[in-house]
Amino acid sequence: MSEALGRVVATERKPNTPHEFHFWTAIDSPVGIGTIVRVDGANPMDGQIPHIYGIVVEGFSYTDLQSPMHDVLGHDGLPTTAGYAATERAEIRLYTAAVLRQIPEEPLQPVPMGQVFLAEEADVQVALRMDSYLREGANTGIPIGVYRAGGTEAVIYLDADFLLGPEAAHLNITGVSGLATKTSAVEWLLASLFKHFPEDKGSIAAVCFNVKGPDLCYLDQPGKVEKSDEALYEKLDVEAKPFPRVEYFAPYTAKGLALNTFRNNEALLDNVTPLTWGLREVLQFAEVLLNRDDIDAKADALIDFIVQNVVDKEFTDPLLSKTHRVQSFADLDSWFRDVLQGMEKKDGESWRTHHVATIRKVRNRLSNISTRCAGLVTDAGTVSDLPFGSFEDRTVYVVDVANLEEDAQDLIFARIVSTLREHLERRDLGVKHLVVFVDELNKYAPGDGADTYVRKMLLDIAERGRYLGLVLFSAQQFRSQVHRRVVGNSGTSLFGRMDPDELSTPGYAVLSPATRTKLATLEKGQLMIRHPHFTQPIFVRFPRPAVMQGREGSERYPQASDVSLDAAILRALRPLDPTITLPWVQDITALYTQEEVIRARNATLLARPDNVKAYFAAQFRKIIPAQAAPRPMAGSIKSAPENDPYGF
Amino acid sequence: MLVGNSSPDAASRAAIRLLMDWLPGSSVVEGSADLDMSSRADQPQLISADIVEGRTLRAIRVPGATRTMVSEFGAFLDGIQRVRVIGRRFGVPLVLGTTGAAVRVRVNRRLVTWGHHAPKLEQKLYLPFRYLPTLAETLRAGSPGKYDRFQVVDTSLPDASGAYPSEHPTVLLERAIRAVDRERDALEDELAEAWCAVGGAPLFIDGGIARSERVASSENAIGVIKSHFTLYVEGEALKTVIGLARGERSSVFQVTPKTRTAVMSWYLRLRDPEGRDALWGLVRIEMSKCENSTERADEISRWVLAETSPLALPDGRWDKMSYGIRDVEEFLRAIS
Repeated sequence: MSEALGRVVATERKPNTPHEFHFWTAIDSPVGIGTIVRVDGANPMDGQIPHIYGIVVEGFSYTDLQSPMHDVLGHDGLPTTAGYAATERAEIRLYTAAVLRQIPEEPLQPVPMGQVFLAEEADVQVALRMDSYLREGANTGIPIGVYRAGGTEAVIYLDADFLLGPEAAHLNITGVSGLATKTSAVEWLLASLFKHFPEDKGSIAAVCFNVKGPDLCYLDQPGKVEKSDEALYEKLDVEAKPFPRVEYFAPYTAKGLALNTFRNNEALLDNVTPLTWGLREVLQFAEVLLNRDDIDAKADALIDFIVQNVVDKEFTDPLLSKTHRVQSFADLDSWFRDVLQGMEKKDGESWRTHHVATIRKVRNRLSNISTRCAGLVTDAGTVSDLPFGSFEDRTVYVVDVANLEEDAQDLIFARIVSTLREHLERRDLGVKHLVVFVDELNKYAPGDGADTYVRKMLLDIAERGRYLGLVLFSAQQFRSQVHRRVVGNSGTSLFGRMDPDELSTPGYAVLSPATRTKLATLEKGQLMIRHPHFTQPIFVRFPRPAVMQGREGSERYPQASDVSLDAAILRALRPLDPTITLPWVQDITALYTQEEVIRARNATLLARPDNVKAYFAAQFRKIIPAQAAPRPMAGSIKSAPENDPYGF
Repeated sequence: MLVGNSSPDAASRAAIRLLMDWLPGSSVVEGSADLDMSSRADQPQLISADIVEGRTLRAIRVPGATRTMVSEFGAFLDGIQRVRVIGRRFGVPLVLGTTGAAVRVRVNRRLVTWGHHAPKLEQKLYLPFRYLPTLAETLRAGSPGKYDRFQVVDTSLPDASGAYPSEHPTVLLERAIRAVDRERDALEDELAEAWCAVGGAPLFIDGGIARSERVASSENAIGVIKSHFTLYVEGEALKTVIGLARGERSSVFQVTPKTRTAVMSWYLRLRDPEGRDALWGLVRIEMSKCENSTERADEISRWVLAETSPLALPDGRWDKMSYGIRDVEEFLRAIS
């Protein structure tokens, strides 16, 4: 057993309570803010020596000096002479610790006087109640980091039952931008989760929305791992390797030639799938793209009519010039045009109770979608989507929406999460537990502002997701500006280095000034954790993720610049068939329009056929190359007989 | 004079209970507090001493007295005493005395308690047996458990001339105070002798060193006296001492008490007395007799001057007190 490093003290002015106590230490003791200590009470209670575990939340230091002026006088106002004083003044290091746990837990009494010891690894497990889920038979611990103080190094575990449900769920992380703490922490935690999530609890996967920068774009590429991090990985029993199974999804750019992602370098395209949706997929979530002013009762009724009666159905009406089967935005626009022309011909103001003005407004708004979400929404109706129903265990699915307009981001988020939810409700997603990571929660679920579709969805996940196995890992810079019910429902909260302004908001008033100061100065790789089992926040250090960081990735694999149509086709198809060459593409596509070529590419990428060349070529309509018309032979002019008397 | 007003501490309460057992009918002194020891009737006096450095006593600037001078003192010794009248029986004061002494050693510029010899702390009852007739009988009958808690000192024994103290309460109280003083001196001497026996760095003793032969003859014991009820100068020499400037010392002289060991001594001004009283920042230093008294007095003066930083504030005697001695007093206050 280690030596005592302090003694509990209590005075009438500063008494100990059941939740807080004070102790002093030697000047050179390794105690600091966040250090976990153990107090051994002097008097047994029910035959048991009481053990009290606490975490240091405040520290004081002072000397026997009564006034600073005395020190000035003592050194004649010359600070340089202070170093010559024969004796250092008596000095105290006084700490306040918040109680983590008392054993025995009943009766709950003020902390008694006693010796204070640095908590050892076993003490840390007891103090944080980790012993309940690290015991044989439970084993639901997920390593989140290493607690370090003095000579103690202890792995801190989160309880999977409280991280992914069913007891509690969700994780929220806050921290200033630019330190890569938030993204790194989530990457590290996913790696730990995939390694340590108990097999008997079922399969698990993650869907990560990359909303800014390239940070999540190289999860399958190895990154630099420092020696110190290697030691952490070993201690935490996680391999320092990139994720073995990662699938990327990104829509095209507005031109439709290249994928709109940082990860569109040709060398990395083998696991990047285009994300394109047609009318059917989008119309379900029209609400996401239409603002409150757009959606009145009349417009809502017309959209509902279209969804129910027009889309994917043979639609005929005496007003219309022909039978319509609407499967794409192009079809829908044709249908609208026919309806409006029919009404004009009849000089009618309404059709099937829908006023012409409403029809024009809805046409305008819906047709606009394919423009606003160009690259994602296709007129042709080609669908390339996440593999709903065949999600694989321990796989990360990254949806890159970083370069998209806000509307398109919202649409992607709303549709993917809704679809995930539907599949999880039906238990046919392919995995039992799914982590959804969303950064910039300030933007998607703000505490104030309009009640958007996306915010409602996030609230729904936060409040009900854990029953489905749908777990939200969210991140933001300013937790105080996120909807209270979203962060409030997060069972686990992580805090990286914090902005002092953010720390001054009321939500952090429960933390001591010293803890807040520590939060404002946390190093990269350090986190403060709140978890249902921990009665006080704990500071840990986690290893840098073993994946390539965004900056390094974008330097090594530069984003492909916009290229010609042929080059774009080559780039898209070569991962499927490396024998495809640029001349071959040029030869095949020479006679066709850009729209036709892109449609053929999309169809090929969706089908992923064995014979890529044949499939791609087959997508084009048959065109017989024009041939030069043979020049008609000029008829011979009959020559006059030599003896023709009328000839000239 | 009583100072302060405080409820009795645990020791006082225990002592009162004991006295109530032993001396039924005694009355408790409500709100008893420690006596201010300066109330003692010491009379200031001037005594001439033999000069051993030159013929006349003169002011000498301590050579090498700079801000960067280094003190060689390795430890500090001081004691405390507290006298509290906790009860009375027909006017006879029943006194609880607390005495203590400790040596604090300097390690890496910080002071820690000397591990070789634990600090001394004693609490005794000072009672005039002669005027408490039933007490001696009670003590003879014995009440071991209670008796172990407090030793009892008889303050009514006859003096050297065989005279008993009168029953006057003030006289009896004065006897108790003197007895407590002696207890404290004894504790200090015990520790000082232990230090001198072990040897090592010089010991800064708060007060004189002449009480103990072993201490008075040791090179490792330096006494620094802050109070000047007795000034060992007269006439011109007095003016010289009063006129000492900061960083000046007097010539070395020899103090030869009748019942104590002769030691060498000198006055040293620690702080500028301008605008203050005549004895401001003035200390008298005692050391064992030696051949090279000038060099030794200069050297020790530099050490004592070096000990003026840090200030001993908020102690009211900070002008003369070294921080090390304040530290010992604070330590003893904490444990007593």
